[in-house]
Amino acid sequence: MDFIYSVISPGVLSQILVGLSRTVILFIVSSGLSLILGVLRIPNVAHGSLYMIGAYMAFSISHVFGGSDMGFWLALVGAPLGVALVSLIAERGLFQYLYEREHLMLLLLTFAVSLVFGDLVKIVWGAEYKSVPVPQVFQGFVLLFGNLPFPRYNTFLLVMGPLVAVALWLIVNKTKIGKISRAAAVDREMVDAVGINVSWVFGMVFVIGCLLAGLGGALVAPTVSVTLGMDHTLIIEAFLIVIMGGLGNIWGALLGALIFGLTQSLGILIWPQFGIIFPYTAVVVVLIFRPTGLLKSTW
Amino acid sequence: MVGNNMSKTGHKKYISLYIGIIILLLFPLVLPRFYIYLLSIMLLYGLAATSLNIVLGYGGIFQFHHAVFYGIGAYGTALVLTKTGFSPWLGFIIGPLVSAALSLIMGIICIRLSKLYFGMLQISLGSLIWAIVYRWYSFTGGDDGIHGIPIPELLQSPNGAYYFTLIITIISLWLMYRIIKSPFGSILQGIRDNPVRSEMIGVNVKKHQLLALVIAGFFAGVAGMLFVVVDNTVFPDMMFWTLSLEILIMCLLGGLFSFFGPLLGASVIVALRTFVSTFTVYWALVLGIIMMLVIFFLPNGILGYVDEIIRRKSRTEIVKG
Amino acid sequence: MKRVLLFSMCFICVLGLFLVSPTFGANTIKIGIVDTYTGPATTFTMDVLDGFKMAVEKINAKGGVLGKKIEYTTRDEKFKPDIGLAMAKELILKEKVDLLVGTINSATALAISDFIKKEKVPFFVTFSKSSKINMEKGHRYVFMMNEHTEMAGKAAALVLAKKPYVKYWIAGDDYEYGHAIADGVWNNLKKLKPQVQLLGQTWWKLGEADFTPYITQIVAAKPDFIIVATGGSGMVNFQKAAKATGLSQQIPFYQHTAIEFSTLAPQGLNAPEGVYGTANYLYYYPDTPANRAFVDEFRKKYNRYPRIGALYGYMTAQFIAEGFKKAGKVDREALIKAVEGMSLDSPVGKLEIRTCDHQLTLPMYFGLTKKVGGYNYLIATDITTIPAKDYLPTCEEVKKARK
Repeated sequence: MDFIYSVISPGVLSQILVGLSRTVILFIVSSGLSLILGVLRIPNVAHGSLYMIGAYMAFSISHVFGGSDMGFWLALVGAPLGVALVSLIAERGLFQYLYEREHLMLLLLTFAVSLVFGDLVKIVWGAEYKSVPVPQVFQGFVLLFGNLPFPRYNTFLLVMGPLVAVALWLIVNKTKIGKISRAAAVDREMVDAVGINVSWVFGMVFVIGCLLAGLGGALVAPTVSVTLGMDHTLIIEAFLIVIMGGLGNIWGALLGALIFGLTQSLGILIWPQFGIIFPYTAVVVVLIFRPTGLLKSTW
Repeated sequence: MVGNNMSKTGHKKYISLYIGIIILLLFPLVLPRFYIYLLSIMLLYGLAATSLNIVLGYGGIFQFHHAVFYGIGAYGTALVLTKTGFSPWLGFIIGPLVSAALSLIMGIICIRLSKLYFGMLQISLGSLIWAIVYRWYSFTGGDDGIHGIPIPELLQSPNGAYYFTLIITIISLWLMYRIIKSPFGSILQGIRDNPVRSEMIGVNVKKHQLLALVIAGFFAGVAGMLFVVVDNTVFPDMMFWTLSLEILIMCLLGGLFSFFGPLLGASVIVALRTFVSTFTVYWALVLGIIMMLVIFFLPNGILGYVDEIIRRKSRTEIVKG
Repeated sequence: MKRVLLFSMCFICVLGLFLVSPTFGANTIKIGIVDTYTGPATTFTMDVLDGFKMAVEKINAKGGVLGKKIEYTTRDEKFKPDIGLAMAKELILKEKVDLLVGTINSATALAISDFIKKEKVPFFVTFSKSSKINMEKGHRYVFMMNEHTEMAGKAAALVLAKKPYVKYWIAGDDYEYGHAIADGVWNNLKKLKPQVQLLGQTWWKLGEADFTPYITQIVAAKPDFIIVATGGSGMVNFQKAAKATGLSQQIPFYQHTAIEFSTLAPQGLNAPEGVYGTANYLYYYPDTPANRAFVDEFRKKYNRYPRIGALYGYMTAQFIAEGFKKAGKVDREALIKAVEGMSLDSPVGKLEIRTCDHQLTLPMYFGLTKKVGGYNYLIATDITTIPAKDYLPTCEEVKKARK
């Protein structure tokens, strides 16, 4: 332990861990965005709104069960599913007709959808802050490196992150649908010609991507106050991470989220007033040297 | 015969334009103060949207964060007027020049990329600049913004500000129109349609695009400067990405490939925003639905659609004739 | 070309939309309200509006003011100052309102204040807390109906100075309000108790979701007490983090509005205990007949307990109505003269609008959060009431600031 201390101070270590828990949320949401962008070529600005809806749904489910622990676990399962349902409706009703459109139009269209969703959330849930309680199991904190408190819930996040990453990797690489979607991302017509219903595959990918956004929202809900405007802050970060990591590349999203989360938390240590600059600068630097992103993109 | 026809339609075109300008000049005599103020806002946003159209519609460049240049133009002017003893008229020029300079720098960094990547890098850089302005409280007033910016007495009344805005906007639009119609403009559109071909015939693609970016940035800065004259305030929100998307929407609504499209789009959006807010708080919802309708049914914007109708009509005339 | 002609026609049609828009009734008092009804701030502004509405409906039911009904209309600035200013201009220049009320965004309030000074329209500020509003940039036409950061800071300092803490740390949201409230508390505290030391400061970006790294940094420095300068959503987020990291049990801290219902209600029974805070209104304290009546009326109408904004909105309407009554006519200058120095009963006692700076003389409550049986959320206990005269800036100080 002392050896580690001589290299990095406990404060920095704890900062890194916190940055990592933030990374988890960013990764989960960004991976969904990357999936949609990489396979469907849709820059889904509404992804942030779906994240917000995930958080609000988690609140509602938890609220129905009186804020109990069971309520939390149900919310963790129910909210992403709810968001998936919403996205399914949106996809079948709207997006499936637009897969061949220009990117600019798609960008503006998803922006329009995000505006609509934003106000719909206001209509359905009202304007007040909502709070989702942390389940009993995760309340309190562990003392790291002697005396630095680290919330237990964050350790839960640190476990969820790799789990989701592995699950995603399995789906994308080991399942049939994953392989088909990877093929379709590269050459849609070919997949079509082989007789596979590409539209259906695209729909599935879209729903999975949005489900991830909802999951991110549900996971983050106990740590913040659930408010309108969550979508705007997150969407820009998610986009930057996806671009930085490489479009359509799940590991790229992970790498991007890592860089973003860590530069954010460490930047704060170095220059508190302008800490926010560090992640943006990192993105700029990466894009200058590797414009298509750090890892291979599917475009 | 063809020559005769050309000059006739040429004259016709200009007559309606002159009528339009005269009407605009006469408005202050008949309209109440509020509408004059609103017109000023429409004009300057129209200017900002048109400047975006130069690079987006005519240049095919994915300028996703245009608001940065608008905002920096405004802040440049505001800071000169509040922090230095320079003449305000000098401030009015410095603001847009700062935007142009920023446009050049950002352009050099981003131009190596294309399409979506260009847009994303620009968003990152733009967000970086926003963050700096937002946090540098001691210099820029931070999230509070700067208020009560002193402007020359001549421009303080709504009418004064309106005429100034109108004149500057007309001159700027005329300049931009000339640029688009010039050989430079044609090359730019050629680059948009087929960059590889243009390169092959010896066009320095990057240089042309860079110049277009600087021009667009400059006029966006002019629009920002006009905002300072009309409203005497600046806020960091003026360079936030949501405003960039709004300006994009203005271009889209009016028509990306027409010159006056963005101006029309801007007027509609400003009018709707003001009008709709008297009825409901859910302006975002309304805007979102309008956007979706436009994308589905009027992908070339209002003027694009009008153009189509006119073209269809003239085609049937030719067939009939 | 036909296109340009068509375009100019569209242009004019678009303008024509305005001729169709709704205007006020003829013989009424017209009030325009600009505020944020989008985003996190709404949790406060809805109460301001509801309190205002409740008072106006009561007044109108009794026949209105000088035989006229009070009519009001709202505009959503979406927390964007340029929209707020545009709305204010629309309300004054087009709707021709008699006066303006609003907003929660200090930047908007300052911009509007600048504008109404030129237009000579009274402006009642309901939820902006920048002290610039009625100190440095104050003037005849602006009225401050809530506390500002300088006041809140002094009130907190008055109580903190009597406590044994010496080594302080300051932390908060890195924006104007955060710095202002921290400065307000610290400058006054230092004056009252010179031996306090500032060990350091930590500022995080507004909207920060994860406070753990900052909290660990602060804990490592071992201060006696932390002044936490958060606003809006930062309040709840920080309290959640404080509970999760056990900070509230390790080092005591203070936040302005920590004990307010808006902050504690959303957290239910999970809010941290032992947090010090100040607030201008608590629905359960003081338990006077006047307060109880107000709370009951509000609950009956809106099915919820009134939060701080309700008091501001309610009193603003009352002062406007009584002001016009006293003035005898619906005239802006007469209103200003009538309202200056006017004192009215309120749920928290007699409140006055001071002549020198148009500040509403609200009392301030300083307390500690605690779980008390019978409530589904934490409430404030050990409450110290600080009367207005103790913590408002003196008229001389205001005059000096305006120079």
